[in-house]
Amino acid sequence: MSSHLQITHLRKRFGGLVAVKDVSFDVADGEVVGLLGPNGSGKTTVLNMISGALLPTAGEITLRGVRISRLRPDRIARHGVARTFQLVRPLPSLTVAENVLVSLAFGRFKHWGPDARDLAEEKLAFVGLGGRGGENVANLTYIDQKRMELARALASEPALLLLDEWLAGLTPSELQIGIDLVRRLQSAGMSVLLVEHIMDAVRALCARCVVMNAGEIIAHGPTETVLKDPGVVAAYLGDGHA
Amino acid sequence: MNTTVAFILAAAALAGLAIAPLFLNAYGIGLLVGMTGYVVLASAWAMFSGPTRYVSLATVAFFGIGAYTVAVLSETLPYPLVLLCACAIGLTVALIVGLSTLRLAGIYFVIFTFGLAELIRQLVTWYEVNVTGTLGRYIFLPFEGIHIYWQLLALAAATLLLSWWINRSRLGLALRAVGDDEVVAAHAGINVSRAKLMLFALSATIITLVGAIQAPRWVYVEPAIVFNPTISFLTLIMALLGGATRLWGPALGAIPLFLLFEWLSANFPNYFSIILGVFFIGIVFFLPQGVLAKIEGLRRPARKAPPENKERSGAA
Repeated sequence: MSSHLQITHLRKRFGGLVAVKDVSFDVADGEVVGLLGPNGSGKTTVLNMISGALLPTAGEITLRGVRISRLRPDRIARHGVARTFQLVRPLPSLTVAENVLVSLAFGRFKHWGPDARDLAEEKLAFVGLGGRGGENVANLTYIDQKRMELARALASEPALLLLDEWLAGLTPSELQIGIDLVRRLQSAGMSVLLVEHIMDAVRALCARCVVMNAGEIIAHGPTETVLKDPGVVAAYLGDGHA
Repeated sequence: MNTTVAFILAAAALAGLAIAPLFLNAYGIGLLVGMTGYVVLASAWAMFSGPTRYVSLATVAFFGIGAYTVAVLSETLPYPLVLLCACAIGLTVALIVGLSTLRLAGIYFVIFTFGLAELIRQLVTWYEVNVTGTLGRYIFLPFEGIHIYWQLLALAAATLLLSWWINRSRLGLALRAVGDDEVVAAHAGINVSRAKLMLFALSATIITLVGAIQAPRWVYVEPAIVFNPTISFLTLIMALLGGATRLWGPALGAIPLFLLFEWLSANFPNYFSIILGVFFIGIVFFLPQGVLAKIEGLRRPARKAPPENKERSGAA
């Protein structure tokens, strides 16, 4: 498989704190890779540097051979990176369909007009919100807001999808729905970088994982091997499990 | 079909408004001029500040630039060229200011725009006193109130048409997204700075034109008159009263408030500022979304209002 997203020697410093030290890994075309680690290990910082929310202190990020590090987030989005946010962020003054239309209108292919309306409905139907485009986002339940955020991310027809704890905070039955949705994306050939704490979801979705702790990669490889690594167990689950 | 009907009604109303001054005396025409001026100011202000929620107090900076351009150039250039120059100067200032300040958020932007208006007033005053040696200027243009009114009415129609068009365009959607959450907007592919800059510049250019068109009414202008900060506050309060996110909101706020303030300043000149302040507080407290949203809320009590200040915690 060709290397799709390539991260090399990525580093981020906030004043005196080095949040990400020297991180290198890649995501192949059509692959779903898990990015794991305890809170504060730097996962979301890495995600924020890929999407352009933060500028790296050093290092490079390339998508399909094009250097995207140091570009503005809107440029990166138009290069084909879409994301969801750790805390769901709907655009409250827009309807559900308009939230999705934003990504259609300004994403990679710039859809507008009746054609965009149809595509928005199509994306909403995919995530299970078919026919609810006219609703006010404030009236959506938590999982429906998460679905809408996924539809908004997918609407830009991304080459790489970044999911930042997208499955967190769901009930067990909602979690199953969420895992199924990501799995459908996977079978459609979407490349995904999944920041996640829920191990069942990681096992179900990712063949390969990268584990970070204190800003560094401590393990990298097939999910089952990585999750059994004593260093990972100690860092991630705490001493009680070691 | 609805749009066609609305356009026919708007065109009929415009025609009615255009012939109205023929049946009015000078005082009536004066009222129409002032009212139409504020309708344009409030609509142009809301064009940028409504969807983006960037509260600008720079209205009078651009209004004054327009008026002063006319005062300086009206004797050397033909009138249409003077207006064009005013537009160009307003646009240039707006682009410079926009590029340097639209990264400022919330209260910092408000304070900066207020400071900008004062800065420009002081600069003009300094220049006039130290370089030209006079403080005031006379404008002798062969315009009567009715000519100014017609120009303002045309500008009002153009402004509303432009707002309507922007609301339906991709740019309008981008601005509403930016107003809700700039980070999400940027990650959806919107060039946030460019969208804000375009609208700020457009709004400022229209405001500059209002100042330029109204300038001949004064005959004598000086910085204290055309850079009076009350103009910024009135524009803001009018747009807020009507509802800054609706097409007709600012106009509906401007008309009654202009008439009210006109009456107040004629009858209670000493208490005008106090009453203005009380009004300001009252509107922000009781009608934060404007009258139009309130009426809609009364008609549809079942529908939940969108939460205004949703917590915006950044991704850690």
